[in-house]
Amino acid sequence: MTNTWYFTLFFAAALIFAGILGLLLRRNLIKLFIAIEVIAKGISLLLLGTGFAKDNILVAQTLVVTFIVVEVSLVATALALIINIARQTKSLDIRKLARLKG
Amino acid sequence: MIILFVALPLVVAGILPLVGKVSRRVVPDLLANAALLFLLVYAAITGRHLIAGGPVLQQLSWFGEPVAIRLALDGFSLLMLLAIALVGLAACLFSIDYMEHYGAKANYYALFLVMIAGMNGLVLATDLFNVYLFMEVAAVASYALVAFGLGRDELEAAFKYLLLSVVATAFILISVAVIFGMTGSLDFAAVAKALQELNAGAAVGVASAFFLMGFGLKAALIPFHAWLPDAHPSAPAPISAVLSGLLIKVSGVYAMTRIFLNVFGLTPALSTVLMSLGALSMVVAAFLALGQKDMKRMLAYSSISQVGYVVLGIGIGTPLGIAGGLFHLFNHALAKGLLFLTSGSVQQATGTRDLDEMGGLAKRMPITAATNLVGALSIAGVPPLNGFWSKLIIIIALVQSGHPVFAVIAVLTSVLTLWYYLLMQRKAFFGKLNEKWAAVKEAPFWMTAATVFLALLCVGIGILFSSTVTTWIQPAADVLADGVHAVIGSWGF
Amino acid sequence: MIVQTALLIGLVLFSVLAILLRDLLKSAISLAAASLFLGIIFFRMNAPYAGVFEISVVAGLITVLFILTIALTKAGDEVRESRVVNWVFPLFFIAFIIIDALVMKGLLRKIPALASGAETGTFGDVLWKGRTFDLVGQIAVILAGVFAVLALFRKGDKHD
Repeated sequence: MTNTWYFTLFFAAALIFAGILGLLLRRNLIKLFIAIEVIAKGISLLLLGTGFAKDNILVAQTLVVTFIVVEVSLVATALALIINIARQTKSLDIRKLARLKG
Repeated sequence: MIILFVALPLVVAGILPLVGKVSRRVVPDLLANAALLFLLVYAAITGRHLIAGGPVLQQLSWFGEPVAIRLALDGFSLLMLLAIALVGLAACLFSIDYMEHYGAKANYYALFLVMIAGMNGLVLATDLFNVYLFMEVAAVASYALVAFGLGRDELEAAFKYLLLSVVATAFILISVAVIFGMTGSLDFAAVAKALQELNAGAAVGVASAFFLMGFGLKAALIPFHAWLPDAHPSAPAPISAVLSGLLIKVSGVYAMTRIFLNVFGLTPALSTVLMSLGALSMVVAAFLALGQKDMKRMLAYSSISQVGYVVLGIGIGTPLGIAGGLFHLFNHALAKGLLFLTSGSVQQATGTRDLDEMGGLAKRMPITAATNLVGALSIAGVPPLNGFWSKLIIIIALVQSGHPVFAVIAVLTSVLTLWYYLLMQRKAFFGKLNEKWAAVKEAPFWMTAATVFLALLCVGIGILFSSTVTTWIQPAADVLADGVHAVIGSWGF
Repeated sequence: MIVQTALLIGLVLFSVLAILLRDLLKSAISLAAASLFLGIIFFRMNAPYAGVFEISVVAGLITVLFILTIALTKAGDEVRESRVVNWVFPLFFIAFIIIDALVMKGLLRKIPALASGAETGTFGDVLWKGRTFDLVGQIAVILAGVFAVLALFRKGDKHD
């Protein structure tokens, strides 16, 4: 069953790369966070697929459940930040956040 | 009961918002500081007896049923726990007065304690996934704390920090998954043993590369540092102190060294990579710090530079180099905590962080100026302060291990560090008093108390450096110098 | 195997769509669709609990949070995304897929791994007896999230 591992690795890598590419190319804050979510999907697929291919599915399952709980907490914090930023700057554009650079 | 290091801050954090409804200020102040004081006493006094006979491993039981909470306390984790408790307590004392005008103090302390619990959990974890999990606990709390002022800069810095930090944890998890697939286990001891049997150089190399990117981002080593100079200055001063003094070290340096040295085993290639990254951060960040006008930004760049020293020292891999790196980590935690706290005092008194606007503040704020000077000289490595000894040990170790070029770079960077700190001193505290600040007063009691506490520690450790090294640093360095055997031999459950 | 492959391709497609689509609402919904696919994949990998969590929490709760945020921030002006993205993204993505496929094919059975024994017990056993410290971490991370949201949405007395 080792082929399954490379199979999931392939798809997980595609998802993670898509997310990172989205992070680099997008400008809307919410879009950026959707890209983060795509990376998170890649990670959970990677964890569970690894467990499945290596007969460790129960441990992998607990890891994915924990990962999802962390994700919820992270999403809540990030979206709260985005709402606050939108209230103050009336915009969701990452380029308008450039004030801090330098 | 080393679980208390995680459980106590969490429980106190859980009840704080309830208490906050009854008493908005006094009780939260008391509870949070009492919790941290307890952790400090526990780590400083009991901890050394606990590990006297080798590392403590604890398997907890719940109503007689053994549950799988496995914690390990050895010299290295004890040193980190002590640093967390010391800087955490100082920042918490400082918050009593400083956080007054931010409002929602109970909520602030709750987040602060969750962050402390996350760092303590990471330090005690015995398992790769728990390292990730507790790193995330501390990180989520720190995003909110960076944005706690709810001003525009704070929110933006927090969001940028969040984006890069999530990417960092993604890299770490990729590596964890690969290791999990190869060894079928996540436990440090089991993974270390399995990797020895597998002898899988290339695959471990790939995993190391991902870990390096992830932890490098967390520790803000130079190619991965973009978030730190925004996030650390924007946070409230006590949070800047904890982020710069502790969080980058615990979730970056501690996790990285624990995994690379104790689980993977340090290979010559990895050692070279770590040393080069460390030296690069050290030099580039020092030059960047030189050009800063914002006091806290200068301190933030200086943090990157000093973490470079720590990684350089640990990267050498010889017992002396590791001891120097760890000693510098500890000293930098204290001194940078101190500097960020004093910058908070200055900012609160004058309302600005711009060095050009300040001037002559030593006449108005003598204690703040004096403690700031101690912190600056300590980081710059002026004898007899603590930072001098740790830099000296790193440089001796570099020479001994046959890296004279790195040693010269370290000495030159040290001169550069002294230069920009003196620049900061001259612009902010010495010279002619700017008339604008004629009415400025010394910071309130708890704020000065916290800075004096850290300054005394810096001086004290500088004077008593040899006994500090033998009692605290050497046990930690021994664990790391032992390499994978430290974990395989004694961490099995 | 064919069904699994189709599901995985669906997952990747909807995830890419979520990044590429211009309209925020549509992209949030295609993210939810991707989660649905992932949940079904988890079910088929004998991980029912992870599947349930993925579908109810990620496809459900997180999507609701996203839509709520999109609704609350609508007042702001439209963000002009760069046009370059429309062709740069597919170009890089397809290039990466090809490299990815070649690398994985080259790696096939190359990564050494220990043979693992079959696991025993149930999900509950593993969670409670194997990874209890994770539960402490989960409680901590939930506390962190709750306090973070409370702090970011607190009213009044903030400094300027």
